[in-house]
Amino acid sequence: MLAALLLLAIGLAGLVSRRTLVGMLISVELLLNGAGLSVVAAAKLTPASDSIGQLTAIFIMGLAAAEATLVLAMMVVVHRRFGTVSTEALTTIKDAAS
Amino acid sequence: MNGLVTVLSAGASRTPPFIEELGRMMLPAPGQEILAYLAFAFYAGLIAAGGLAAVLARNLVRAMLGLVVTFLGVAGMYLLMASPFMAFMQLLIYIGAISVLIFFAIMLVRNTSSGEEMNLPGLCQAGGALVSAAAAAALCGPVIALNAGRLNQPGPPGETPLAELGEGLLSYYVAPLELISIVLLVAMAGGVLLAWDQRYRGRQ
Repeated sequence: MLAALLLLAIGLAGLVSRRTLVGMLISVELLLNGAGLSVVAAAKLTPASDSIGQLTAIFIMGLAAAEATLVLAMMVVVHRRFGTVSTEALTTIKDAAS
Repeated sequence: MNGLVTVLSAGASRTPPFIEELGRMMLPAPGQEILAYLAFAFYAGLIAAGGLAAVLARNLVRAMLGLVVTFLGVAGMYLLMASPFMAFMQLLIYIGAISVLIFFAIMLVRNTSSGEEMNLPGLCQAGGALVSAAAAAALCGPVIALNAGRLNQPGPPGETPLAELGEGLLSYYVAPLELISIVLLVAMAGGVLLAWDQRYRGRQ
């Protein structure tokens, strides 16, 4: 549980401090890993059902894979359009021209 | 043929003597407990070092390597909690798939030749990061610390058989299983759509 908390703290810090979308994706993966670890630990160390915890963690892994795929596609689109993935350059929400 | 099968099944059901000997050697509980604590410290160190490297490294490839080290540490934690299937899935999905995906992301969108981030985070951003990390620790830390005493079970946690997990996936939790496959399909199709549409629009 302490290791999961550590992952949560590090992931949040990285999410805020990173300057590019790739770094933020890495931080989000850290956060999701911490979530899965804490769920499995909670199911193992308490009288709760063990298989529910492991299945939940597997679902978290699947969702993380889907999320990483989508974020990669979004990064490709953003890179084509703006030429960079730095979060400071991405201040446009809607183009006036399009 | 029948004789071979009999021999094989007999061999499978009987534990080899040296394993029994090993088990008898490791049976004293204090030694095993110390070993478990050592392994926990090792994996926690892996997680901490990898996480710090992933967040603090300026080079994105190094950050990804830190992430892989963290994944390894988490897989070790799963092993330590007697869930080898989770550890295997962790290795397969995270280290095998997601780290490759992140490497593709770094390759596809990097804007400097070395893959480094352009500039250091400002003071405001670093302060915000510290505050968010401290908030997470302050919110969840006391709860974990207060309940840590109640978590301790006598003896190591038992291993859930894989058949039980599969049965759960195919009986009670079949709806989430189907839903997550749909989510994965939609995510994949959406990724392809996002990347292709822009390319063809650019050519016209």
